[in-house]
Amino acid sequence: MKITIFTAVLFSLLLLSCSNEPSIQKYFVENSGKKDFIALDISPSIINIDKSKLTPEQQTALNSFEKMNVLIFKSNGKNETQYQSETQKVGDILKDETYQELMKIGSGKDGASVSFVGDENDIDEFIFFAKNQDNGFAVVRILGNDMNPNNIMNMIGILQIANVDMEQLKPLQGLLK
Amino acid sequence: MKKIFLSLLILVVTNVAFGQSVFDKFEDQEKIRTVIVNKKMFSLLSKMKVEDKETQQYVNLIKKLENLKVFATQSDSKAEEMKATAEKYLKTAGMEELMRITDKGKSVKIYVKSGATDSQIKELLMFVDGSGTEETVLMSLTGNFDLDELSVLTEKMKLPGGEDLKKASKGSKGPKGGK
Repeated sequence: MKITIFTAVLFSLLLLSCSNEPSIQKYFVENSGKKDFIALDISPSIINIDKSKLTPEQQTALNSFEKMNVLIFKSNGKNETQYQSETQKVGDILKDETYQELMKIGSGKDGASVSFVGDENDIDEFIFFAKNQDNGFAVVRILGNDMNPNNIMNMIGILQIANVDMEQLKPLQGLLK
Repeated sequence: MKKIFLSLLILVVTNVAFGQSVFDKFEDQEKIRTVIVNKKMFSLLSKMKVEDKETQQYVNLIKKLENLKVFATQSDSKAEEMKATAEKYLKTAGMEELMRITDKGKSVKIYVKSGATDSQIKELLMFVDGSGTEETVLMSLTGNFDLDELSVLTEKMKLPGGEDLKKASKGSKGPKGGK
């Protein structure tokens, strides 16, 4: 009996320590070229703004933002099983300890979650995951350096006054067709 | 053979039970709407700089919150399941009934686990039984907050059952004002 328990504990420790889980980054690389997927990289240059007009706070906010990666899976009525398995995969990756979940909403059929990587005051990466059975799903990674809640608020402020360069969003048009 | 089976069983049980709340099983289920806000979110939000007084009040409360979970459903079978889980949980969690409202066929029960003083709350559980006509809502909120402060939250957040919670906050007889 003792040995049984011991092996069980050992096994569960082993499972925990060996969890060399695939990361979201890997997932992006693996799937960006695949059929039904649309990948998109957005650089800070999408925000066309005269930097001299920004307040110092807004400048730090802008500098903390490095780039944004978007991966979209489009449902077309025929790839239902793929939708199920891929959303499952992303969900499992996000369950890893590296990704600290902030919040989550859902209704089974559709859902969205926000997670982050890093320390509360120094966020390296934000991950948004949204899914809908009829439309597909999207994973968005926002990469940066030292992002914090105040920088994010300032960033939203910048977006409101900036000219967004629509050229970078062109691949998204494929979604509307 | 038996030993292997047993060790596998223990393994599965320990890994599943680890760090899971009793209500987590309602996540990602069809016909159940969920809203989950984790501690990290509250602590991130509370770091934001705010100027106006009302928002400051809100931020003060948020600092004290840890976890918010809301599950809502229209489905009868899911509602039954939620009710059973809630009742089972209440038996073991050592929570007290704070209030009970019955209104137009729907019943609202609110339970709390008190902290150091009576008005300090460590855990709040609300169960709204829609009895087939309205939505059934299960809400669990943990942290270390004052019941009176909750009214700030219910005003700012549009949550299912928020209106019912408001009544609890206003009806509380705890010492007012103090933090």
